[in-house]
Amino acid sequence: MIAVESRAENRALELLKGIWRNYSVLVVFVGIIGICAIAAPRFLRMDNLLNILRNTSTVGAIALGMTFVIIAGGIDLSSGPVLATAGAVLILLQRMVNADGTPAVPLALAIVACLAVATSFGFLNGIIITKAKLPPFIVTLAVGIMARSLVMYFMRGATVMGNNIPQFTRIGNGSVFSIPIPFLLVVGVAIIFHILLTRTKFGTYVFAVGGNENAARYSGIKVDRIRIATYMIVGLCTGMAATIEMSRMAAVAAATSGSQYEFEAITAVIVGGTSLTGGKGRLIGSIVGFIILGIVNNMMIMLNISPYLSGCVKGAVILFAVLMQRRER
Amino acid sequence: MSNAAVLQMKGICKSFFGVEVLHNVDFGVDKGEIMGLCGENGAGKSTLMKILSGIHAQDAGEVIFKGSVIRRNATPLEMQRVGVSMIHQELILLNELTIAQNIFLCREPRGAAGLINFNRMNEDAARILSKLGEKIDPKRKVRDLKIAQKQMVEIAKAIAFNVELLVMDEPTSALTGKETKILFDLISSLSAQGIAVVYISHRLKEIIDVCHKVTVLRDGHFVATKNVADVTAHEIATLMVGREVKESKASDFPGDPNAVVLEVRGVSDDLLKDVGFKVRRGEILGFSGLIGAGRTELMEVVFGIRKPRTGSVFIEGKPVTIRSAIDAIRVDLGFVTEDRKETGLVLCRDIVDNANYVSWLKNPGMFKGAKATMENTRRIIDRLAIRCSSPAQNVSNLSGGNQQKVALSKWLLSGAKVLVLDEPTRGVDVGARQEIYQIIRELAAEGVAIVIVSSDLPEILSICERVIVMHEGRITGTLNASELSEAKVMYYATDV
Ligand SMILES: Nc1ncnc2c1ncn2[C@@H]1O[C@H](COP(=O)(O)OP(=O)(O)OP(=O)(O)O)[C@@H](O)[C@H]1O
Ligand SMILES: [Mg+2]
Repeated sequence: MIAVESRAENRALELLKGIWRNYSVLVVFVGIIGICAIAAPRFLRMDNLLNILRNTSTVGAIALGMTFVIIAGGIDLSSGPVLATAGAVLILLQRMVNADGTPAVPLALAIVACLAVATSFGFLNGIIITKAKLPPFIVTLAVGIMARSLVMYFMRGATVMGNNIPQFTRIGNGSVFSIPIPFLLVVGVAIIFHILLTRTKFGTYVFAVGGNENAARYSGIKVDRIRIATYMIVGLCTGMAATIEMSRMAAVAAATSGSQYEFEAITAVIVGGTSLTGGKGRLIGSIVGFIILGIVNNMMIMLNISPYLSGCVKGAVILFAVLMQRRER
Repeated sequence: MSNAAVLQMKGICKSFFGVEVLHNVDFGVDKGEIMGLCGENGAGKSTLMKILSGIHAQDAGEVIFKGSVIRRNATPLEMQRVGVSMIHQELILLNELTIAQNIFLCREPRGAAGLINFNRMNEDAARILSKLGEKIDPKRKVRDLKIAQKQMVEIAKAIAFNVELLVMDEPTSALTGKETKILFDLISSLSAQGIAVVYISHRLKEIIDVCHKVTVLRDGHFVATKNVADVTAHEIATLMVGREVKESKASDFPGDPNAVVLEVRGVSDDLLKDVGFKVRRGEILGFSGLIGAGRTELMEVVFGIRKPRTGSVFIEGKPVTIRSAIDAIRVDLGFVTEDRKETGLVLCRDIVDNANYVSWLKNPGMFKGAKATMENTRRIIDRLAIRCSSPAQNVSNLSGGNQQKVALSKWLLSGAKVLVLDEPTRGVDVGARQEIYQIIRELAAEGVAIVIVSSDLPEILSICERVIVMHEGRITGTLNASELSEAKVMYYATDV
C-alpha cells in the first residue's frame, strides 16, 4: 500500500518536474514580475509596461536572429558594431537632400540599404566561418572590431544627426492601439521565425547542424549553407534593430551605437533556455529572455539603483536562470 | 544466498519522466562468476547496470556490494573505488586525448613533483593493449580510431585498475571474431582470478560460450536466472521475447545477374588495394572480414566521405562523381554508418527529426508536412518495434538498440536505390533483428540493391545472397549463399 502511494506521489512529482523542465523560463518570468510588482507598485502601470516593451525591441530583434545562430552551434559577437555600421549608412542616406530640400534618397531605399549592409556582414561572417573553418567566436569578434573601426574612421568618431522625417521617426516612437510599433515589428518577425524554426525543413536542419554536424553532413544536409544562412538571419535582424534604433535616437554615434548589444542579445538567448552547445532551443524562450532583461533595466531606474550596478544584476540573472535550467540526474 | 555473493540487487525500481522502466528487479552475482544479462532492446539491462555503477539512482530497492549496502546516491567514482567497473554500451572516450590518456583518465601515473609521467603511462597502456592483442600506438588520438579499436580501448580502460566486478554492456557489438576470441579468453582469466563479470549481449551464442549463468529481463521485469548449461540460445531468445523466434537462412540471388545498379572499380588508397565490386538490382550482398580489412573505408569511398587515390563508381552503367554525401544521395545511394553516435544520429533531437532528415531532403517544398511526417514516423516505429514513450522522445533517451533502429529508419524512409548498411543490427535484439532482416528482404524484393557490412557471421549467413570477404584492403574471396559457411569465410578473412 505504502509503496503504491509513494509511487503515485512520485508521479505527481515527475509531472511537476516535467512542467518545470519545459516551462522554467516562464515560471521564472512570472516570479520576476511578481517580485517587481511588490518592490515597485508603479511597475505594473500600463505605460511603464509598454515602455519596457519599446525599450527592449532593439536588443529583442537581435536576440531573435541570435537564437538561430546559437541553435546551429555558432555565436555572433559582431552585432553591436554591425548595428552601428548599418545605422550609419541609414542616417547618411536619409539626411542627403536635393537642392530644393527634398530627400535625395527615398526613405524606403535607405532602410533597404541598411538591412542589406547588415545582412552582408552576416554573409561575410558565415563565409569566413565555413570556408576557412575558423571558430565563430574568433571570426565574429574580428569582423566586429573591424566594423566598429571603419565606422569610427568614416565618421571621424563623431555623432551624426539624421534629418527629421516624421514617417521615419514613427517607426521607433509610434504606437498602434497604444502598443509600440517597434515591439509589433519584433513580434511579427518572431511569428515568422517561429514558423521557420518549427515547421520548415530549414529550421529542422538548423537544429541538426547544431546537434551533430557530422550526422547532419552524412544525412546530406548542406551544413555550410545552413550555417551561412543563420548568420545572414542575425545580420538581417541587426539591420532591423539598426532601423529602430536610428529612428528612436535620430542619430548615429560612431563609438557607442549598439555597443554591448551583442552581449545583451546573447544573454537573452541563454536566459531563454537555448543551449550554447547548440541543437536545443526555443524562440519563445528568447522573447521572454529579452523582456526579462528589459524589466531588470526598468527596475534599476524605478528603484533608483546606480546604473553602474546593472551588470551585477544581469550577471546574477544569467547565473540564476542557467542554474534553474540545469537538469538533475 | 550463497555467501560468495559479490553483488545483490533487490527490488530495484526506476522510472524516467514518470515511465517505469524497471519493476522490482532482483539480480545477483557471485565471486568469479560470469553472469549473462539478456533482454530485448529497452528491457532495462543498461539502466540496471547504470544504477549499479552509480550513474542513475534507483527509486526503490537496494544494492549490496561485498556485504555492505551501497548509498543510494553513490557516484561513479565511488563505485569505481569499491571495485565496480563498467564498459558502457555507448563509447565514452574523449576524442581529443590519446589512447593512453583515455585509459588512465583521472588516474594518471605521477612522477616527481606530482607531474604526469607520460613515458610510464604510454608504456603501461601499451602493455594493457597488448594483453588484448592490440598493437595500436597508445600515443595516437582516439579521434582517428575506427569504432572497433575504440571499443578495445574502452575495455583496456576498464581492466587497467583493480576491479572486483566488471560490467560489460555489449562489448562485442562492434568487434569481429578475432577480437571477440581474445576478449573471451580475457574474461575467463578474470573469472579464474575471482573477478565477477556481468556480460550483456544480443549475440546469444556468446552468452552460451562464455557465461556460467544468464539472467533474462523482459519489459523491466525479472524473468529468470538459469544455468547456461541447462539452456540453448533458442530458449533464451524465447524467454526474452516471450514468443518463438524463427531464424532464417539465405539462398542464392534469384534475380537478373546483368541488372547491375552499382559498380565500383579499382579503388586504391593507403589501405585499399585495387578493390572493386558490383551489386545488382534486388541483390543482398555481404562484406565480411576482420577489423582493419577496409570494408568500412571502401563504403566511405563509395559514399564520397573518403577520397581515394584511384577508383571510379558507376550507377546503372554510367560513371558518377561522388564528392560528398549530398552527391551520393542525389544518385539515390543510402549509407547507414557504423558509428551511430558520431555520424548516424543527432542525439539531442527527437525520433521524428532523426527518422526524416533524408526524406525531407528528397521531397520538394520548404515545409516539413506535419501529417505525412508523423504518419511515416509512426509506421516506421511500428515496423521496427522502436520502444519509445512517444515519437517526440529524444533519441539520447532511447536504449542502444532502439537508437540503432532510428538510425536505420532514416534510410529506410529515404527511398534509396542502393542501400549500404554498415553493421545494421549493432546492439539490436534477436526479435527485432529478424524484423530488420525481413524489411531488408522486402526492400530487395522491391528492387533495392543492398550492401551489408557485418562483423556478425551468423548475420551474414542468414541474410546475404553473396558474400565478399576482405583481408587487409584486398578482396580475398567471393562466396554465394549456397557455398557459404563460417569456416570458408574465416578462411578467406584470415587469408592463410
Ligand atoms: N535517460 C533516460 N531518459 C528517459 N528514458 C530512458 C533513459 N534511459 C533509458 N530510458 C528508457 O528506459 C528503457 C530501458 O532502457 P535500457 O537502456 O536500460 O535498455 P536496454 O535493455 O539496455 O536495451 P538495449 O538492448 O537496446 O541496449 C527504454 O525504454 C529507454 O527508452
Ligand atoms: Mg543497453
